[in-house]
Amino acid sequence: MSPALNEKPHAEAPPAMGPAGMIVDGRYLPPPEDKDGKLWVRTSTLIQAAPQDLYAMWRNVETAPNWQEQITKVVMTGERTSHWVMDSDGKTIEWDSEVLADEPGRRIAWRSIGGDSNNAGEVIFEEAPGGRGTTVTVLQEFRMGKLASAWETFVGRNPKQAVIENLRHFKALAETGEIPRIQRQPHGDRGLIGKMKSSSYGEKIPTPSGSN
Amino acid sequence: MKAVCWMGKSNVETLTVKDPELLNPHDAIIKITRTAICGSDLHLYDGFIPTMESGDILGHEFMGIVEEVGKEVTNLRRGDRVVVPFTIACGNCLFCRKKLWSACDNSNPNAHLMEAAYGYSGSGLFGYSHMMGGYAGGQAQYARVPFANVGPLKIESNLPDEKVLFLSDIFPTGYMAAENAQIQPGDTVAVWGCGPVGQFAIASAFMLGAARVIAIDRLPERLALARGLGAITVDYSEEDVSVLTALKDLTGGVGPDGCIDAVGLEAHSAQLQGTYDKIKVALLMETDRSSVLRQAIQAIRKGGTLSIPGVYGGLLDKVPFGAAFGKGITMKMGQTNMHNYMKPLLERIENGQIDPSYIISHRITLDQAPEMYKVWRDKKENVTKIVIDPWAETAA
Repeated sequence: MSPALNEKPHAEAPPAMGPAGMIVDGRYLPPPEDKDGKLWVRTSTLIQAAPQDLYAMWRNVETAPNWQEQITKVVMTGERTSHWVMDSDGKTIEWDSEVLADEPGRRIAWRSIGGDSNNAGEVIFEEAPGGRGTTVTVLQEFRMGKLASAWETFVGRNPKQAVIENLRHFKALAETGEIPRIQRQPHGDRGLIGKMKSSSYGEKIPTPSGSN
Repeated sequence: MKAVCWMGKSNVETLTVKDPELLNPHDAIIKITRTAICGSDLHLYDGFIPTMESGDILGHEFMGIVEEVGKEVTNLRRGDRVVVPFTIACGNCLFCRKKLWSACDNSNPNAHLMEAAYGYSGSGLFGYSHMMGGYAGGQAQYARVPFANVGPLKIESNLPDEKVLFLSDIFPTGYMAAENAQIQPGDTVAVWGCGPVGQFAIASAFMLGAARVIAIDRLPERLALARGLGAITVDYSEEDVSVLTALKDLTGGVGPDGCIDAVGLEAHSAQLQGTYDKIKVALLMETDRSSVLRQAIQAIRKGGTLSIPGVYGGLLDKVPFGAAFGKGITMKMGQTNMHNYMKPLLERIENGQIDPSYIISHRITLDQAPEMYKVWRDKKENVTKIVIDPWAETAA
């Protein structure tokens, strides 16, 4: 490092490598490009909770339906494998998933191993600079297969946005013990346009149960 | 229950809808005893705020009696009397911990809509568009209040509803506006817009040490209330009155130390630029009419602070940024961080330092609300503030 600046009272040493390929040799890198039928999404959030607790909450995959949209059931089928069921408008998608890397309190990586979805991803939990909580970064890839197309047609949420929304629900549940929701509240007649708009706002997708 | 619903631009109806229910563990259901129409509701009425949809229940200024609480609500019980802040805050995210309650991360179920428009989402608000959360509002007989441990302020004294109702929005909003103007004892403060928020900004500016407050509006009933508080008034609609000249004259050529834009995106102007903005908005070339903001930037003294409690929603045209830079001014703005102000301002009311009910001009029923939206929008009947008794069958 250059000796030009010698006064940095609160600076933290910059990481040579950041989560999910975000920093390499001190340089920011954008997420991988979508190509050859593969979609990538990288998103992050800041959560006021300890990395260990957030890791435990994520690793307990059988509770994923509490915060992941349209996931109705997850069952552990082995120490590192689980079976996932996703449901929307009565249509069901199922797949198996396997944990590839498991670093307690820090990182989980997974991939699907057969079924109606072809996806892989990782989640990284790191203390944020300045002691401001835990940064949670998700990098996920999808093959455009039955999952993505089904997701887009009947969920009205593209799979990239779904990953972003799920991380938002995870944060709300971790920080407040619930997920904000407005479904089932009273309103006057929506009319035809109102119903269409409601769909386009994503308000038709059932908000996951949270702690309810 | 009965509720006032937005049914389209300039179309509000009082409808019978189902009662609200508890949806989350930190929810409470409030039986509303008093509610009000806010000047910012007129921006919804006039169709300026995107993502309002037919059937949305309006209203974000309300108070009442706790009817039912969710299983995680520990601060309130059935029968408590509470005022509810219009911004919804979780109390646990980074922003709530920094006391930036209106920037709460966890209270907007439609955060992605606001992210698309603004980069990041603010907190959810009651009855103020789907982008701001899509929550049903409080111009109704009951409302569901999320994060009830964090928001509602208990009223334990016997003060009548009308004296404490405005802790739900306009009094804290006017107070934060004055605080944002960074008033030093002896300052001269100019306030554009003498509606309810402007009134409380004037009162708060005095409380925070202003030596002189100059109030700008065109409606005689509002200007009279402002003079009642001790402000000098300038009627910009009078022939030969130039606000810029008036503010120079009244400050020895220096300009006001603090300027408060309590008007926002539907500014009227007696000058040519008023017509210019109306045409550009009509042609969708700008979304907000910003003549007050322009004037305030021009009028403020060198190094002064411009505080903006007036609501802006989108894109502004011809904002004199060179003047702002050239004079080195500070600008502060945003939705009110309600939770910081409710309790201290309740104490000021309890101590008799201020009686916020002085602005009320009309007391109505829910059924009269649609008509009164129109009356207030058209600036008829000398309206200064409309309060609704949601259980009254006939007007007081």
